[in-house]
Amino acid sequence: MARNVRRSFRLSTLFSSKFAIILSMLIAVIWLGTAFALDRHDIFLPGETSNGHVLFETSCKSCHESFKPVSNDTCNRCHEPEMAKDIHGAKKFRDPRWAELRENIDVLTCTACHREHEHMFDRGVNLQPDLCMACHQGVIEGDLASHNSFKPDGCWTGGCHNFHDHRSISTGFIRKNLDQPWILPNPELPNRVVETILETAPDADLNKEFLVEEG
Amino acid sequence: MRDKDKRVNSYLAVISLCLLMFFSSIFPDLALAANVSQAELQKIEKQWQTSAHALAEVNCSSCHQNEETKAFVAKPTEESCKSCHENSVDTFLLGKHGIRTLEGLSPLTPAMAHLPMKDDSLNRQMNCNTCHDEHTANTYQASVDSCLTCHADNHSLNYQSSPHAEVFRKIGTLARPNSDSVTCATCHLPRTVSGDTVLVNHNNTYTLKPRDRMVKEVCMNCHGVEHSYNSIFDDELVEANFARPPTQKLQTFQLVRDLEKKRSGKGS
Repeated sequence: MARNVRRSFRLSTLFSSKFAIILSMLIAVIWLGTAFALDRHDIFLPGETSNGHVLFETSCKSCHESFKPVSNDTCNRCHEPEMAKDIHGAKKFRDPRWAELRENIDVLTCTACHREHEHMFDRGVNLQPDLCMACHQGVIEGDLASHNSFKPDGCWTGGCHNFHDHRSISTGFIRKNLDQPWILPNPELPNRVVETILETAPDADLNKEFLVEEG
Repeated sequence: MRDKDKRVNSYLAVISLCLLMFFSSIFPDLALAANVSQAELQKIEKQWQTSAHALAEVNCSSCHQNEETKAFVAKPTEESCKSCHENSVDTFLLGKHGIRTLEGLSPLTPAMAHLPMKDDSLNRQMNCNTCHDEHTANTYQASVDSCLTCHADNHSLNYQSSPHAEVFRKIGTLARPNSDSVTCATCHLPRTVSGDTVLVNHNNTYTLKPRDRMVKEVCMNCHGVEHSYNSIFDDELVEANFARPPTQKLQTFQLVRDLEKKRSGKGS
């Protein structure tokens, strides 16, 4: 009986608040120290990384400069070619006619729709799939009504529309190309031509260098 | 005393082993140069002599010698390729294949992939000569065979029995896929016209998502818009590597047809 009392007393000291704080700090220091020492940056990841970015998720500095927010420049380091023909780009929304719409969604900031380490619906978009309705409600009901009875969340999840580049899915493009045969009259890819300088191959200009250690 | 000597010897052995590992890691050339035999060298020379590189005056020293110091380089990196193939390397580094290298991490290996990969390829590191044989510079091989060294998902495995592969086979072995060939590279590393030159976009992710990008960039070089969209948005057909004509009819086209009717009705 006496022994049991002593044991429970000891356990209570072990979990006393002071001791618990010191212990948890010590564990945190060791944990962080080990992570740095072993270069295991993945422990700092606040959530699941999107498909693609996951390949370099341990390279924090690829996107983050200390604790500054991620800017468009960060994204454009890699995504500039895809954004070259951005239909929803700066040119459109700096125009006073459309500038007001930026209050609905800040479309000129990549992270307004693409927030990393959060749940994403598809294509790295973490806003609800009906995001187009922030500006285009009239398409499914009201004045335009060209897509009456369509669901508000199907514009891009259904595979029809691409927010940044709709060159090949716009009404104009489809009208122009409607009723084309399944195979075009002149099916052809751009041809690659290799221009050579010599007619016959010369002699190799390095040889013994490859055998250095043997000789 | 003897024990002490033994201990000293073992320390020395450990130190020299560490030194050897250290130097071979900073000078990998030493280890590689010792591995090339006379016979292998002759084989490589022959491969190179029948390559486009030889006829374009790209000799051994172009890649295997540092331009400034004239020091021998046993294993050239993508930096060496970049001195001529700048666009290819730059675009490669932006796709999934190259992004880890761009970000200063170890190169991508199939072991890191989410798609099914071949077991014996899991440790291959992605760089230029993973797909391109650097001495033959044969892009015919790089357009399909290299992909299938690693990729083992159904879409990739079904390529060989697809109508696209049939077209490619009929053309036969050329130095490089011509404008009629449809290979893995045709769709996934699309050719882009830039002024007078035709470049190959080596960003393997570029045409993947959204799928309409592939339609505009690639499919519509040969196929009509309806056939292209009805095919590419059919997951089963994509998995079968377009083995049959599409059966789905996307509503988009009906909408545009209705619009056309409405407009022409108004006009009359």
